Amino acid sequence: MANTVIGSSIVIDGEISGDEDLVVQGTVKGKISLKESLYVESSGVVEADIETQNVEVSGKVTGNINASDKVELKTDCRVIGDIKAPRILIADGASFKGNVDMDMKER
Amino acid sequence: MANPKDISGSASGDNTVIGPSIVINGKLTGDEDLTVRGRLEGELSLTKTLIVEPSGIVKANVSVKNAVVSGAVVGNVDAAESIELTKEGRMVGDIRSPRVILVDGASFRGRIDMGEVKGERAASDRGARPSVRAVRSVPVAARPSANSRARSAGKPPVPPPPPESRSTTPLPPMVAAGSRRRVVVKKKVR
Repeated sequence: MANTVIGSSIVIDGEISGDEDLVVQGTVKGKISLKESLYVESSGVVEADIETQNVEVSGKVTGNINASDKVELKTDCRVIGDIKAPRILIADGASFKGNVDMDMKER
Repeated sequence: MANPKDISGSASGDNTVIGPSIVINGKLTGDEDLTVRGRLEGELSLTKTLIVEPSGIVKANVSVKNAVVSGAVVGNVDAAESIELTKEGRMVGDIRSPRVILVDGASFRGRIDMGEVKGERAASDRGARPSVRAVRSVPVAARPSANSRARSAGKPPVPPPPPESRSTTPLPPMVAAGSRRRVVVKKKVR
């Protein structure tokens, strides 16, 4: 599967958009908008507004997350920003600061 | 999408891939290999190898160690070590690199600067020819040297008449403008 990976030494300052999964091990600043899933791995740092279907965070995210399906904050992640998604999972050990909006009426 | 073929080098390990549907707009820096199958616009600087696959499009000023271009690149490329345009590679822009490889089938428009070919960087930078069009092989070797071009482009302030070359064609400035350069090239070839 064609999979996009931003390696751990890569720094991107700008906008990323696309129709496929994106794995971030490095640093992304700016904006991310995808039609699929975003994985922020434990070495990954994202300082960006995120618009995707799914987000899985093990690393650091600063910015607002807007997911059409699911946001998963895993153990040891650090997230600052507002999350808007119908399904939000926060694992034990995750740290998070911000608002959560699960958009009740759509469910 | 199946990955068309693995181009040498960056096969395994931690390398960064920009997939075919991904568009990145902005500045990208890094210390590892980067494979572009999608689109990248803006600015790119790496300390390793950039690989632009056939589906990849890079519209950026690029500064890398090595570059292998099978897709499209628009912008200036500064490669510390080498740049290769494969047979599928297309590029518009200027290249600065000590090793430039243009394979048969590659298309390129722009300037190439391989560094101190004959010294006189300044003369070659404002060279009479704004661009070279190369389809087959490295064109730089065939180019007239910087100082012969400077002479053909008009009288330099201090015309250095090396007697041995002047004597063969005594009046290059009198030749029609269009053919001047050719005269000089011939002289150089011998």
